[in-house]
Amino acid sequence: MSVLLQINEMLQKGRAKNVEELVNQAINEGIPAQSILNDGLISAMMVVGQKFKENKIYVPEVLIAARAMNAAVAVLQPELVKQGVKPVGKAIVCTVKGDLHDIGKNLVKMMLEGVGIECVDLGVDVDGDAIVEAVKETGANVVCLSALLTTTMTAQKDVIDALKEAGVRNSVKVMVGGAPVTQSFADSIGADAYAVDAASAAEIALTFFK
Amino acid sequence: MTIIPLLNKWNSKMTDRERFNAQMHYKEVDRSFNMEFGYWDENYTLWKMFVDNGIKNERQANKFFSFDKIECIGGNYWMSPPFPNIIISENEKYQIHQNGDGLIAEVKKDGKSSIPHYLKSSVVTPSDWAKVKKERFNRNDNSRKINLEFFKALHSPRGERDYPLGIHCGSMIGKIRDMLTFEGICYAIYDYPHMVEDMVETACTLVLDALDILLPEFDFDFASGWEDICYNGGPIVSVDFFRDVITPRYQRINKKLKEFGIDIWYTDCDGDVRPLMPYFLSGGINCLFPFEVNSCAHPAELFETYGKELRIMGGVDKMKLGAGREEIDKYLDTLIPLVKRGGFIPFCDHRCPPNVPEADYLYYLDRKKELFG
Repeated sequence: MSVLLQINEMLQKGRAKNVEELVNQAINEGIPAQSILNDGLISAMMVVGQKFKENKIYVPEVLIAARAMNAAVAVLQPELVKQGVKPVGKAIVCTVKGDLHDIGKNLVKMMLEGVGIECVDLGVDVDGDAIVEAVKETGANVVCLSALLTTTMTAQKDVIDALKEAGVRNSVKVMVGGAPVTQSFADSIGADAYAVDAASAAEIALTFFK
Repeated sequence: MTIIPLLNKWNSKMTDRERFNAQMHYKEVDRSFNMEFGYWDENYTLWKMFVDNGIKNERQANKFFSFDKIECIGGNYWMSPPFPNIIISENEKYQIHQNGDGLIAEVKKDGKSSIPHYLKSSVVTPSDWAKVKKERFNRNDNSRKINLEFFKALHSPRGERDYPLGIHCGSMIGKIRDMLTFEGICYAIYDYPHMVEDMVETACTLVLDALDILLPEFDFDFASGWEDICYNGGPIVSVDFFRDVITPRYQRINKKLKEFGIDIWYTDCDGDVRPLMPYFLSGGINCLFPFEVNSCAHPAELFETYGKELRIMGGVDKMKLGAGREEIDKYLDTLIPLVKRGGFIPFCDHRCPPNVPEADYLYYLDRKKELFG
């Protein structure tokens, strides 16, 4: 079995140590960093995301795979920089004002990073002004807004209003998600997309960078 | 404090106890059992009817709306002593504190409900657990002794009681999740599986100890539990772990319950419980509470799948309560055949949130009475 296939297999199982060793082995074998990233790591996370969407695995398996992904990327990072490999795109992720829940937001971040998107994590309880500022500073093209509560989901609309008011609404795609959020709610507040889960969020975000 | 009820108790030909037992066992009832799960803290300051009548908690609200009575008792199943609650730091907006489970968490100071933002657990490695187990999970600690006389003074132990009394069977994994955090438990199951299994065994032993004391002394009508081990994307622990580690402990508890004739056991678990359903049922948990619709499914779907083996308490979509009277009507209509079927007690599928206008909540209670009262 090729080293890239082994990386793929071990990452799906969440075996962080094995993946780190295999990534080092791949670097030593002279495999381009882009190929290790795309064909070994990202392709494995795509499989993890797909299985998650199909309810074949659940959050624990995703978290463990994402942890292995992060460990592997840390090993690969110097090679990626040396070889000029750029991320697919840049996204802002946060939980909206009034809400301290970060699990959904963290999962979305992991899955986005798993498909090669650079994430700017603004944390929890973030208001529209902070998001507008981050959009201007980072040049991110996608904003992912999480809310877990019926009482805080309306803050997702406040963010969209703030982006409009600041004149940057058209420069970003706004994605919303969270337990009480639905497609019809997303439509009603003028979001560009609703993601039912973290794997779908990654899939949708990728379409915005094509 | 004297509470003047806003609503009358629904007309009754049976006692609350008779009704609960009949409804849960698919027998004829005079009407549906009438209960609700409770309210967010904000409702007690936002809803005028609560403010004007001094209603400040769930127990008072239950009397205010004249709901049927249901009670539960149990032992001290968790850390004893707990970690001290201490404030570590604070600023204008947030407070960082350590809670009773030893978690360092950030909470908002504005009093609005939000689950705390957990930053760090006190238990990560097996050596952390060994220390906490020794200091806080001693099964012979005095604080675990059950004061039977106290409970007997509160609840008539035998047949003369007119309301259902439950025995609480604790939590096999939800409290462990609380102690380790959401991410922490996922990693711990992979990194230290024996440590997590020992935590589960410890929790189970503490419950079994209490059951040995309480079961012979009371005629219980049901058992209860709490897990909250699912979210809208499914379980927070792997299904294999749940099947291999949690279900066998449920089975041990269930064996004791069955010896004393208790055949209804509900567990409080939010989120999408469907992947765990076979393992709840094979462990003896045959009733879901409060059954969150928006994160899972319409209760009819689970009844269709599991038949009369499964009961549900809850299952009234809180999102519909906040969506206006037309939506409330439409949703309640879908529950008519389920109440008729039996094994189903309808109420809001979690604590009623403050976005539900109080007038619409009262409308919901009135409609529930018209349909099921």
